[in-house]
Amino acid sequence: MAGSKSIQIILARQLASCVAAPILLVDTEGTLVYYNESAEEIFNRRFDETGEMGADEWTSLIAARDDDRNPVAADQRPALRAIAQRQPVWQTIWTRRADGEWRHLHVTAFPLIGERDTLFGAMCIFWEF
Amino acid sequence: MIVTLWGTRGSLPTPGPETARYGGNTSCVGVQGREGTVLVLDAGTGIRRLAASLDGAARRIDILLTHLHMDHIQGLGFFGPLYRAGLEVHIWGPASSKLTLQERLARYLSPPLFPVCLRELPSEITLHEVACDDFDIGEFRVSSALVCHPGPTVGYRIAEAGGSVLTYLPDHEPALGTGSFPSLPRAWVSGGNLAADADLLIHDSQYDAHQYRHHVGWGHSSLMQSLDFAKLSEVKHFVPFHHDPGHTDVDLDRLFGEAIAEAKPAYEVTPGREGATFNI
Repeated sequence: MAGSKSIQIILARQLASCVAAPILLVDTEGTLVYYNESAEEIFNRRFDETGEMGADEWTSLIAARDDDRNPVAADQRPALRAIAQRQPVWQTIWTRRADGEWRHLHVTAFPLIGERDTLFGAMCIFWEF
Repeated sequence: MIVTLWGTRGSLPTPGPETARYGGNTSCVGVQGREGTVLVLDAGTGIRRLAASLDGAARRIDILLTHLHMDHIQGLGFFGPLYRAGLEVHIWGPASSKLTLQERLARYLSPPLFPVCLRELPSEITLHEVACDDFDIGEFRVSSALVCHPGPTVGYRIAEAGGSVLTYLPDHEPALGTGSFPSLPRAWVSGGNLAADADLLIHDSQYDAHQYRHHVGWGHSSLMQSLDFAKLSEVKHFVPFHHDPGHTDVDLDRLFGEAIAEAKPAYEVTPGREGATFNI
């Protein structure tokens, strides 16, 4: 059944689509498979326009900086760390809005682990300071 | 394969003259392959009559449970072949995150709910835990995947080698939480790939539209949602199933008539009736 999403990812998208906090959903490869309406402000693009994006593509669209304003490497982004480490991750980052203003965000990412310890992806939630 | 409906009712056995045509037994479907393999889909109260239909020649029977809600396992203890020494019985079904399939089944098949324990049954029982798997049973290739229903619940796609495909999703709420159902891509719909292009889809259609509004999240579909799901899945033949215990034969005739007239499906629709047989 190639191409089908797991029920864990499907239900995570359904949850993300009806909550106000910005949420990203990535699969085990780090592909961004969904982001909700609130998260469109982080990408400055609508999900309908971008569709799914590979890890290189979507991490390049978020100009993430750490608290010292140094760039956060792609593999150090919370969503990708949560997948690699199979553990929840919390960190703070700075991102730039479309209007050029910097935003200070808390980011919480946690892996979606199902039956038989199977990893399905990660959900990443942003909270503004 | 030959597919026979032995129990079409959802939630609770509903015997009586007002349900005699569609049937009052809970979910159970028999599948017989070209080479004689026997599959039993769910063990609702319909399984008792299924057992009576078997000729006794089978050396192995496979019972595929979608989940362990009572209406899908209530008949298990009354399945005659379980008491036949030497018969190979394989039971497939989902574990939970904390309990094995055996532990979950034993909650029902043990006192005080049932006088006989699973381990005391004389047949040779093997339990198989399934979630998102592909496996072979005789001439069948079976695919399972977790689907949208409370608790661990799987649907089954059963493909006969070089032949037809049956998809069984008796308890399923693919529309839950998504305002854009059924316009989402099939890959994003619970059960979508299990049902894709199936020759025969047996699917939950428990509620009418009014009932569904009061039961969102209970894990079942309205008849119109199930017709939409069948269309999205591009099935050839759709069997609405798991009828609400409150719906009489007269109610079901009216509901199916109205829904089919409104949906005008391009595929065949045969409302699930106990005893119906499909040769696909």
